[in-house]
Amino acid sequence: MKTKYWGWLLLPLLTACGRFQGKHEKVEGARIVCVSKQLTEFLFALHQGDHIVGVDLSSTYPEEAKKKTTVGYHRHLSAEGIAALDPTLVVHQGDVAPAEVMTQLAQLHIPVKVYPAGSTLDSAKIVLSLLGKELGQEPVADSLNRVLDADLAAAATQVARYGTKPRVLVIHFGQQRNQYFVIGTRGAAKTMIELAGGEQAADTSGFRNLSPEVIVKLQPDVILATDFGWDRLGSKEKFLDLPGLALTPAAKNGRIYRVEEHDLLYFGPRTGKNIQALAEIIHR
Amino acid sequence: MCRLRTIPLPYFYGLLLLLLLLLFAVSLGVGAVAIGFGELPGLVQHRLSGAGSVNALHEALFWEIRLPRSLLCLLVGASLSVSGALMQSLFRNPIVEPGLVGTSAGSALGAALLIVLGQNAFFSQFALLGSLLAPACAFVGGMVATLLVYYFSASLNRVNVSVMILAGVAVNALANGGTGFLAYIARDPQARSITFWSLGTLSVASWKMVGIVCISTVSGLLLALRLARPLNALQLGDAEARYLGVRTERLKFSVMLVNALLVAVATSMVGIIGFVGLIVPHVLRLLRGSDNRYLVAGSSLLGASILLATDMLCRVLIAPAEMPIGIVTAFIGAPLFLYLLGRARRGGQKGGFYA
Repeated sequence: MKTKYWGWLLLPLLTACGRFQGKHEKVEGARIVCVSKQLTEFLFALHQGDHIVGVDLSSTYPEEAKKKTTVGYHRHLSAEGIAALDPTLVVHQGDVAPAEVMTQLAQLHIPVKVYPAGSTLDSAKIVLSLLGKELGQEPVADSLNRVLDADLAAAATQVARYGTKPRVLVIHFGQQRNQYFVIGTRGAAKTMIELAGGEQAADTSGFRNLSPEVIVKLQPDVILATDFGWDRLGSKEKFLDLPGLALTPAAKNGRIYRVEEHDLLYFGPRTGKNIQALAEIIHR
Repeated sequence: MCRLRTIPLPYFYGLLLLLLLLLFAVSLGVGAVAIGFGELPGLVQHRLSGAGSVNALHEALFWEIRLPRSLLCLLVGASLSVSGALMQSLFRNPIVEPGLVGTSAGSALGAALLIVLGQNAFFSQFALLGSLLAPACAFVGGMVATLLVYYFSASLNRVNVSVMILAGVAVNALANGGTGFLAYIARDPQARSITFWSLGTLSVASWKMVGIVCISTVSGLLLALRLARPLNALQLGDAEARYLGVRTERLKFSVMLVNALLVAVATSMVGIIGFVGLIVPHVLRLLRGSDNRYLVAGSSLLGASILLATDMLCRVLIAPAEMPIGIVTAFIGAPLFLYLLGRARRGGQKGGFYA
């Protein structure tokens, strides 16, 4: 008989993952399901937050996005789950799986819009304009892009004052069996670090597991640890205890800082301000 | 439980069939979108005769997603369980599951190749396959792995079953290593895709897939039923079976081929769904002994039912998101199996594997 109770014990465990609970809300007008973290941020910036009825699991910015119903990880979607939210529009940037899901949604006559990946500053601005046009928020999109340009210009003058060019290493997962998960030269982080007046220390492309020896060899002046890895270890002192790290200039001068992961992964209206903050941190 | 052991076999099949039909009907109504059971007759009627008025979304959902998914689920469940029964008999070994001879690991490698290197020009030659390119890659991977195992176990016109297990272990290791390497060089989202593929999902179901899996399952099942009787003789041992007039080498090769057909096609469509092929034949064996004719027929019915039930859970547990089915089969299957195993041991009335 005891076996029965195990089932009941498992149930609260699953429901305890708060992000999976369906929160059906009444929304007037458009009902948007967004399965791309960049587009989610754009939609909120375009004042469409109230029209979003579902997001994917990786959409963590802004804070309100975490309160929306999630339709799961964007590489493991289900057409029925999206249809259940009764959307009038589904937006994504092509990086969804399984591919059949979008075909199935089309068969259900649910409008699906694909936007290009905004993987450079310019393309991100174009995606924001396109999205603004689609939703009748062109003026907002234009002013956001103007603010972004102004912030970037301000960042450039700020960087010109510093004069040094520190080597920056971004460690993503902290540490896992003495392997460091490092953000490499491909992707938004490299551009952001360069605009902030730094130099990417890792010379691998994309995300890579690096051994402690390689970390020492890279000799970074500054180490940025993303929120997940930093919070798991808890403090700068704990980071210094990790093998290899102690031998880097960054550790000797205590220049290890915490950054929010979603600030470094893609471009958006906040990028200008983020780069200003980043420039201040790495030249501190 | 005791009743199930003693009722005549036709009634037992009847019960299994009833369970299957019941679960199938329930599964049509269960999912992230709630379609009431009262709606179902209306939906069917509207589609067939155009009479009555129905919710357009529900109608499209029912015909394009729900129905193919439940059918695919039924076919895949039957495929995996029947091949599990065949393999356990062929190897005379209770821990064998369909993946042992490398089929699912090979399929995973095929799928991972496409996921990670899909941008490569090599794959664009096969663009005409469209959405079936991924299943095709997985199928080729599964077949290559299976044939490799067979090549090593069949030498000098003899098929050595223990060499087959060892070759299977080695080919599995090779394929897993390949998949691991691909996951390592993959970008983060690709690596996640490989993980999800190896946990299986039925949310990709389409009528095209149902058609393909239907052909492989029905033909595989019919062949398996023909092989069941000689497999019974094989339980006595290689030599004894040959004295009884069974062409054992041919039998072993046929079983391998049927298994590869059933598993490679099913796995290539939905990813790796573990454990079903292992436990379903055992549950049946614990209930009513190990006649292979009964095991094959029963496995197809019970396997389909079990996969339908687990898929329903996947749909609703964390709706509107979806749970990978491999997780649920393991979480439900393993405790159920341990429970049955404990009972059988306590009862002490069984011989064979459970003595």
